[in-house]
Amino acid sequence: MLILKVNKAIALAAAATAALSIAVAPVSAQTGQRTIKGERYVPTIWVDPDGCEHWVMDDGAEGFMTPHVTPDGKPVCRRGKICGVMPTDQFFATDKHFINAAGRQRLGEFFQQAKANGARSFVIAGHTDSRASDEYNIRLSERRANAVAKVARSVGARINDIRAYGERDPRVPNTSAANMAQNRRVEIYCLR
Amino acid sequence: MMKTVKTAVLLAVAAGISACTPAVDKTSDGHVSDGKSLHLSNLEAGIWVDPQGCEHWIIDDGLEGYADLRRTPDGKPVCNSDLPRNVATGPFKEGSTFGDPI
Repeated sequence: MLILKVNKAIALAAAATAALSIAVAPVSAQTGQRTIKGERYVPTIWVDPDGCEHWVMDDGAEGFMTPHVTPDGKPVCRRGKICGVMPTDQFFATDKHFINAAGRQRLGEFFQQAKANGARSFVIAGHTDSRASDEYNIRLSERRANAVAKVARSVGARINDIRAYGERDPRVPNTSAANMAQNRRVEIYCLR
Repeated sequence: MMKTVKTAVLLAVAAGISACTPAVDKTSDGHVSDGKSLHLSNLEAGIWVDPQGCEHWIIDDGLEGYADLRRTPDGKPVCNSDLPRNVATGPFKEGSTFGDPI
Protein backbone atom coordinates (compact mmCIF):
# COMPACT_ATOMS: atom_id res chain seq x y z
CA MET A 1 0.00 0.00 0.00
CA LEU A 2 1.53 3.22 -1.09
CA ILE A 3 0.32 6.72 -0.99
CA LEU A 4 1.87 9.09 -3.40
CA LYS A 5 1.32 12.45 -1.85
CA VAL A 6 3.01 14.50 -4.43
CA ASN A 7 0.83 15.28 -7.41
CA LYS A 8 1.45 13.51 -10.65
CA ALA A 9 3.42 16.22 -12.43
CA ILE A 10 5.80 16.53 -9.53
CA ALA A 11 6.16 12.82 -9.20
CA LEU A 12 7.11 12.58 -12.84
CA ALA A 13 9.59 15.42 -12.55
CA ALA A 14 11.12 13.84 -9.48
CA ALA A 15 11.17 10.43 -11.12
CA ALA A 16 12.93 11.84 -14.15
CA THR A 17 15.72 13.27 -12.05
CA ALA A 18 15.82 10.26 -9.78
CA ALA A 19 15.95 7.89 -12.78
CA LEU A 20 19.41 9.17 -13.66
CA SER A 21 20.80 8.33 -10.29
CA ILE A 22 19.02 4.99 -10.07
CA ALA A 23 20.36 3.89 -13.44
CA VAL A 24 23.89 4.48 -12.19
CA ALA A 25 23.67 1.88 -9.48
CA PRO A 26 21.60 -1.14 -10.48
CA VAL A 27 22.07 -4.08 -8.20
CA SER A 28 22.43 -7.38 -9.94
CA ALA A 29 22.69 -10.53 -7.93
CA GLN A 30 24.02 -13.73 -9.40
CA THR A 31 22.30 -16.76 -7.96
CA GLY A 32 23.22 -19.97 -9.72
CA GLN A 33 22.27 -19.52 -13.39
CA ARG A 34 19.74 -16.86 -12.63
CA THR A 35 20.64 -13.20 -12.80
CA ILE A 36 18.21 -10.88 -11.09
CA LYS A 37 18.31 -7.24 -11.93
CA GLY A 38 16.78 -5.03 -9.33
CA GLU A 39 17.28 -2.27 -6.91
CA ARG A 40 18.00 -3.02 -3.31
CA TYR A 41 15.09 -2.05 -1.04
CA VAL A 42 15.75 -2.90 2.56
CA PRO A 43 12.86 -1.90 4.79
CA THR A 44 12.77 -0.99 8.40
CA ILE A 45 9.95 -1.78 10.77
CA TRP A 46 7.33 0.63 12.02
CA VAL A 47 5.27 -0.50 14.98
CA ASP A 48 1.71 0.79 14.95
CA PRO A 49 -0.07 1.93 18.12
CA ASP A 50 -1.57 -1.56 18.47
CA GLY A 51 1.96 -3.01 18.65
CA CYS A 52 1.86 -4.63 15.18
CA GLU A 53 4.69 -4.34 12.69
CA HIS A 54 4.73 -2.81 9.21
CA TRP A 55 7.52 -2.75 6.63
CA VAL A 56 8.37 0.81 5.73
CA MET A 57 10.75 2.37 3.21
CA ASP A 58 11.50 5.92 2.22
CA ASP A 59 12.79 6.20 -1.32
CA GLY A 60 13.37 9.92 -1.36
CA ALA A 61 10.16 11.35 -2.74
CA GLU A 62 8.00 8.30 -2.14
CA GLY A 63 7.23 6.37 0.96
CA PHE A 64 6.13 2.73 1.00
CA MET A 65 4.41 0.76 3.70
CA THR A 66 3.02 -2.75 3.79
CA PRO A 67 2.09 -5.01 6.71
CA HIS A 68 4.45 -7.54 8.26
CA VAL A 69 2.40 -10.74 8.31
CA THR A 70 2.92 -14.43 8.93
CA PRO A 71 2.28 -16.75 5.95
CA ASP A 72 -1.28 -17.30 7.18
CA GLY A 73 -2.00 -13.60 6.98
CA LYS A 74 -1.87 -12.70 10.63
CA PRO A 75 -0.10 -9.51 11.62
CA VAL A 76 3.20 -9.81 13.47
CA CYS A 77 2.72 -7.96 16.74
CA ARG A 78 5.14 -7.19 19.53
CA ARG A 79 3.05 -7.27 22.62
CA GLY A 80 -0.13 -9.15 23.21
CA LYS A 81 -2.63 -6.98 21.48
CA ILE A 82 -5.39 -9.24 22.68
CA CYS A 83 -6.66 -7.21 25.55
CA GLY A 84 -8.69 -9.99 27.11
CA VAL A 85 -8.81 -13.74 26.75
CA MET A 86 -11.55 -15.33 28.74
CA PRO A 87 -11.06 -19.03 29.27
CA THR A 88 -14.55 -20.23 28.49
CA ASP A 89 -14.48 -22.94 31.16
CA GLN A 90 -14.77 -20.20 33.77
CA PHE A 91 -17.91 -18.76 32.21
CA PHE A 92 -19.67 -21.53 30.31
CA ALA A 93 -20.68 -25.09 31.02
CA THR A 94 -19.75 -27.67 28.37
CA ASP A 95 -21.70 -27.02 25.15
CA LYS A 96 -23.56 -24.10 26.73
CA HIS A 97 -23.49 -20.39 26.08
CA PHE A 98 -25.27 -19.14 29.20
CA ILE A 99 -23.25 -16.81 31.45
CA ASN A 100 -24.33 -16.73 35.10
CA ALA A 101 -24.72 -13.57 37.19
CA ALA A 102 -21.22 -13.81 38.68
CA GLY A 103 -19.73 -14.23 35.20
CA ARG A 104 -21.73 -11.30 33.86
CA GLN A 105 -20.52 -9.17 36.76
CA ARG A 106 -16.87 -10.08 36.13
CA LEU A 107 -17.15 -9.47 32.42
CA GLY A 108 -18.99 -6.20 32.91
CA GLU A 109 -16.19 -4.97 35.17
CA PHE A 110 -13.62 -6.02 32.60
CA PHE A 111 -15.31 -3.98 29.86
CA GLN A 112 -15.76 -0.95 32.11
CA GLN A 113 -12.10 -1.06 33.10
CA ALA A 114 -11.01 -1.39 29.47
CA LYS A 115 -13.19 1.57 28.53
CA ALA A 116 -11.65 3.61 31.35
CA ASN A 117 -8.23 2.69 29.94
CA GLY A 118 -9.18 4.24 26.61
CA ALA A 119 -10.78 1.46 24.57
CA ARG A 120 -13.27 2.99 22.11
CA SER A 121 -14.75 -0.30 21.04
CA PHE A 122 -14.25 -4.05 21.00
CA VAL A 123 -14.06 -7.04 18.69
CA ILE A 124 -15.08 -10.40 20.17
CA ALA A 125 -13.93 -13.74 18.77
CA GLY A 126 -15.13 -17.14 19.99
CA HIS A 127 -13.01 -20.32 19.81
CA THR A 128 -13.46 -23.95 20.82
CA ASP A 129 -11.32 -27.08 21.08
CA SER A 130 -11.40 -29.73 18.36
CA ARG A 131 -13.96 -32.09 19.85
CA ALA A 132 -17.31 -32.37 18.02
CA SER A 133 -17.82 -31.33 14.43
CA ASP A 134 -16.36 -28.25 12.85
CA GLU A 135 -19.81 -26.93 12.04
CA TYR A 136 -21.09 -27.48 15.57
CA ASN A 137 -18.03 -25.71 17.00
CA ILE A 138 -18.45 -22.70 14.75
CA ARG A 139 -22.02 -22.33 15.99
CA LEU A 140 -21.05 -22.86 19.64
CA SER A 141 -18.27 -20.28 19.46
CA GLU A 142 -20.67 -17.86 17.82
CA ARG A 143 -23.27 -18.28 20.57
CA ARG A 144 -20.60 -17.75 23.21
CA ALA A 145 -19.14 -14.69 21.51
CA ASN A 146 -22.65 -13.27 21.20
CA ALA A 147 -23.26 -13.89 24.91
CA VAL A 148 -20.08 -11.99 25.79
CA ALA A 149 -21.03 -9.17 23.42
CA LYS A 150 -24.43 -8.91 25.09
CA VAL A 151 -22.79 -8.38 28.48
CA ALA A 152 -20.43 -5.81 26.95
CA ARG A 153 -23.32 -3.86 25.45
CA SER A 154 -25.19 -3.99 28.75
CA VAL A 155 -22.43 -1.89 30.32
CA GLY A 156 -22.31 0.51 27.39
CA ALA A 157 -19.37 -0.98 25.48
CA ARG A 158 -19.40 -0.60 21.70
CA ILE A 159 -18.90 -3.85 19.76
CA ASN A 160 -17.38 -3.49 16.28
CA ASP A 161 -17.58 -7.12 15.30
CA ILE A 162 -18.37 -10.60 16.60
CA ARG A 163 -16.36 -13.47 15.06
CA ALA A 164 -16.76 -17.21 15.39
CA TYR A 165 -13.75 -19.41 14.67
CA GLY A 166 -14.89 -22.68 16.21
CA GLU A 167 -11.93 -25.06 16.25
CA ARG A 168 -10.22 -23.49 13.23
CA ASP A 169 -7.79 -21.19 15.01
CA PRO A 170 -6.36 -23.05 18.01
CA ARG A 171 -3.82 -21.32 20.23
CA VAL A 172 -1.98 -24.60 20.82
CA PRO A 173 -2.33 -28.05 19.23
CA ASN A 174 -5.30 -30.00 20.60
CA THR A 175 -3.00 -32.74 21.88
CA SER A 176 -3.83 -32.81 25.59
CA ALA A 177 -6.63 -31.91 27.96
CA ALA A 178 -4.67 -28.87 29.15
CA ASN A 179 -4.09 -27.66 25.59
CA MET A 180 -7.75 -28.12 24.71
CA ALA A 181 -8.72 -26.03 27.72
CA GLN A 182 -6.45 -23.25 26.39
CA ASN A 183 -8.19 -23.43 23.06
CA ARG A 184 -11.64 -23.05 24.60
CA ARG A 185 -11.70 -19.28 24.85
CA VAL A 186 -13.31 -16.02 23.85
CA GLU A 187 -10.81 -13.38 22.77
CA ILE A 188 -11.54 -9.72 23.23
CA TYR A 189 -9.68 -7.16 21.14
CA CYS A 190 -9.75 -3.66 22.59
CA LEU A 191 -9.59 -0.84 20.06
CA ARG A 192 -8.25 2.49 21.24
CA MET B 1 -5.93 27.20 -4.94
CA MET B 2 -2.86 26.71 -2.77
CA LYS B 3 -1.92 23.75 -4.89
CA THR B 4 0.48 25.79 -7.01
CA VAL B 5 2.30 27.03 -3.94
CA LYS B 6 2.68 23.47 -2.70
CA THR B 7 3.78 22.39 -6.15
CA ALA B 8 6.49 25.01 -6.24
CA VAL B 9 7.76 24.05 -2.81
CA LEU B 10 7.67 20.38 -3.70
CA LEU B 11 9.60 21.00 -6.89
CA ALA B 12 12.30 22.72 -4.90
CA VAL B 13 12.36 19.86 -2.45
CA ALA B 14 12.36 17.29 -5.24
CA ALA B 15 15.39 18.97 -6.74
CA GLY B 16 17.09 18.79 -3.38
CA ILE B 17 16.30 15.10 -3.06
CA SER B 18 17.59 14.12 -6.45
CA ALA B 19 20.85 15.76 -5.50
CA CYS B 20 21.42 13.27 -2.74
CA THR B 21 21.43 10.41 -5.29
CA PRO B 22 20.11 6.90 -4.79
CA ALA B 23 18.81 6.62 -1.32
CA VAL B 24 20.75 3.54 -0.31
CA ASP B 25 19.33 3.68 3.16
CA LYS B 26 15.58 3.50 2.74
CA THR B 27 15.00 3.29 6.44
CA SER B 28 15.15 6.95 7.29
CA ASP B 29 13.59 10.13 6.06
CA GLY B 30 16.42 12.02 4.42
CA HIS B 31 14.67 15.34 4.01
CA VAL B 32 16.17 18.35 5.60
CA SER B 33 13.52 20.82 4.52
CA ASP B 34 10.32 19.17 5.69
CA GLY B 35 10.71 19.37 9.43
CA LYS B 36 12.07 16.42 11.28
CA SER B 37 14.34 13.93 9.56
CA LEU B 38 14.09 10.81 11.54
CA HIS B 39 14.27 7.08 11.46
CA LEU B 40 11.09 5.62 10.01
CA SER B 41 10.40 3.57 13.10
CA ASN B 42 9.42 6.81 14.85
CA LEU B 43 6.50 7.70 12.60
CA GLU B 44 3.37 8.90 14.36
CA ALA B 45 0.08 7.61 13.07
CA GLY B 46 -3.48 8.72 13.11
CA ILE B 47 -6.55 6.79 12.00
CA TRP B 48 -8.30 7.25 8.69
CA VAL B 49 -11.65 5.60 8.12
CA ASP B 50 -12.38 4.51 4.57
CA PRO B 51 -15.78 4.94 2.91
CA GLN B 52 -16.77 1.39 3.99
CA GLY B 53 -15.97 2.10 7.63
CA CYS B 54 -12.68 0.19 7.96
CA GLU B 55 -9.79 1.79 9.83
CA HIS B 56 -6.33 2.48 8.43
CA TRP B 57 -3.22 3.91 10.02
CA ILE B 58 -2.34 7.16 8.30
CA ILE B 59 0.94 9.01 8.59
CA ASP B 60 1.95 12.31 7.07
CA ASP B 61 5.71 12.44 7.31
CA GLY B 62 6.12 15.74 5.54
CA LEU B 63 6.80 14.90 1.93
CA GLU B 64 5.75 11.26 2.15
CA GLY B 65 2.46 9.88 3.20
CA TYR B 66 1.93 6.35 4.41
CA ALA B 67 -1.20 4.34 5.06
CA ASP B 68 -1.78 0.75 6.04
CA LEU B 69 -4.69 -1.35 7.13
CA ARG B 70 -5.39 -1.72 10.83
CA ARG B 71 -5.91 -5.38 11.77
CA THR B 72 -6.86 -7.36 14.81
CA PRO B 73 -4.48 -10.21 15.78
CA ASP B 74 -6.56 -12.70 13.79
CA GLY B 75 -5.63 -10.78 10.63
CA LYS B 76 -9.05 -9.31 9.91
CA PRO B 77 -9.59 -5.61 9.31
CA VAL B 78 -11.01 -3.31 11.95
CA CYS B 79 -14.31 -2.20 10.43
CA ASN B 80 -17.66 -0.80 11.59
CA SER B 81 -15.67 2.08 13.01
CA ASP B 82 -17.32 4.52 15.38
CA LEU B 83 -15.23 7.27 13.77
CA PRO B 84 -16.65 9.25 10.84
CA ARG B 85 -16.05 7.96 7.29
CA ASN B 86 -13.49 9.70 5.06
CA VAL B 87 -12.00 11.50 8.03
CA ALA B 88 -8.49 11.26 9.50
CA THR B 89 -8.09 11.75 13.22
CA GLY B 90 -5.14 11.76 15.59
CA PRO B 91 -1.55 12.96 15.48
CA PHE B 92 -0.80 11.82 11.94
CA LYS B 93 0.86 15.10 10.91
CA GLU B 94 3.21 15.18 13.87
CA GLY B 95 6.17 14.23 11.70
CA SER B 96 5.85 17.34 9.60
CA THR B 97 6.44 21.03 9.99
CA PHE B 98 6.14 21.24 6.23
CA GLY B 99 3.24 23.49 5.25
CA ASP B 100 0.39 21.40 3.96
CA PRO B 101 -2.12 23.76 2.39
CA ILE B 102 -4.67 21.05 1.58
